[in-house]
Amino acid sequence: MKKSLLALSLAVALVPCTVYSNTTINGFASIKAGITTGSDDQLYGYDDKLNFKNESLIALQIKSDLGDKLSVTAQLLGRGSDDFDVGFEWAFVSYQLSDNMTINAGRLRTPFYKYSDFKDVGYAYDWLRVPQGVYGLGFDTIEGVTLYRTAQLGDVDSTLQLVFGGYDGDASLSGARVNARIDNVAGVTWELAKDALSARFAYLTGKTTIDTSPVTLAPGFTVGNLYQALTANGLAPLVAAIDIDDESSNFIGVGLTYDDSDWIAVAEYTRVKVDNSFIATQKNWYASLGKRFNSYTPYISFERENNAALVGIYQPYAAVLPAQLLVPVQGLIASQERDANTWNIGLRYDFHPSAAFKTQFSSEKNKTMDQRNGVLAVGIDLVF
Amino acid sequence: MLSRKLALIVMLGTAGFMSSVAAEIAVIVNPANSAAVTNDELTRLYTGRSSALTAVNLVESSPLRSQFDEKGVGRSSAQLKAHWSKLVFTGKGTPPLELATEAAVIEHVAQNPNAIGYVAAASVTDAVKVVLTLN
Repeated sequence: MKKSLLALSLAVALVPCTVYSNTTINGFASIKAGITTGSDDQLYGYDDKLNFKNESLIALQIKSDLGDKLSVTAQLLGRGSDDFDVGFEWAFVSYQLSDNMTINAGRLRTPFYKYSDFKDVGYAYDWLRVPQGVYGLGFDTIEGVTLYRTAQLGDVDSTLQLVFGGYDGDASLSGARVNARIDNVAGVTWELAKDALSARFAYLTGKTTIDTSPVTLAPGFTVGNLYQALTANGLAPLVAAIDIDDESSNFIGVGLTYDDSDWIAVAEYTRVKVDNSFIATQKNWYASLGKRFNSYTPYISFERENNAALVGIYQPYAAVLPAQLLVPVQGLIASQERDANTWNIGLRYDFHPSAAFKTQFSSEKNKTMDQRNGVLAVGIDLVF
Repeated sequence: MLSRKLALIVMLGTAGFMSSVAAEIAVIVNPANSAAVTNDELTRLYTGRSSALTAVNLVESSPLRSQFDEKGVGRSSAQLKAHWSKLVFTGKGTPPLELATEAAVIEHVAQNPNAIGYVAAASVTDAVKVVLTLN
């Protein structure tokens, strides 16, 4: 955010009216270390050995102002979990249509959540990490186009965003890396803010295709093998009800924030649905409360995940399915069951004008597995 | 970076600015500008929610900057920086231009009809117009 003083003073001296800072480079970084509190615990990629890599990341953003309301922005980001291999997280061309309307095209963030756009910029929020129970969907980026429109409705600031595009990349399913596609993504988000209060609504739809066939159900037996066996047994309709092939999908998100600069409260509720597939409807929410004491911001938050496995899919077939096919079908569908509560308690300490120290303890109670997992993490978030 | 900051603090210190710890802050615009600026509008201008005027800031190392962040915008410097990082790293905004000295702010505002800035009330010259005074 800091430009070269020399360049600026020169620019001010030579060009008194309009100053075009042609290219600016900014960046952000997070260095985090975490460890589970129990020897068998696993959470957020941590286990009982102290890990400095899992949630650390560094990013550089280059923005070039081409004049006449056109600019190009590229954000290169490397995650410790990917061995700091650098990729383009954002890459878009932006054109300002008017004072209150901007259109961006290229690789963008999918605006599912309130913090989607800047969830990697830890410095921008108080938590050590965004609530994983809600933000764990994946499909973070989208290739497409988005339109922002800001307006003042009386005392209320309104930001409307329309987005169109598609996703083609990796997704994580039951621990396996699979190829995923969401075509024809169309979405709208609307944020309203007045004084300390703000509210956000998001609705996105798309056609989801996830190639689940490589996922292993049992040694030497994949989901692909299961689909073949079912089809061979005349159960193609069951395959169609389970697989994720160009399925209508939708996402609803509602968020509320109160931030009077002393107290900060945030809550978000989301619902994800993928029709005609074994993907359970995911209804998740969190609520968080923090209080600022000068440079210190302690906070507490609670996350709730409730995904009921769609056991109704195979019930009509339970009588006709041979056991060696019924069991893997049940297993695949049951893998979507998730009932978990997570408590987080943490602290942000602004020890430097461009850096914040954070620590957070998270305790997840997984009721489906009857398991408790705890993670303690510390870290530094900075912007430059 | 650090040494430059240090040098600046020493420079400002010797120039006697350090004594003006709780100075009155004058919000200034170009004399040709007839706009009235409320506290609310000032907050909007310095948080990127309004672009009716083009805001300029003092650098973070200036003691007046953190006072302005608190009194003029109602947020701590860290909160404002967090706010601007949201906008910068999502391509939604660029923070106000930062100038090194109050003299540079006065000069910039005097030359740009659409600019708004702030300096210590005692530093105001005839080249600019005061629209708001912050205590």
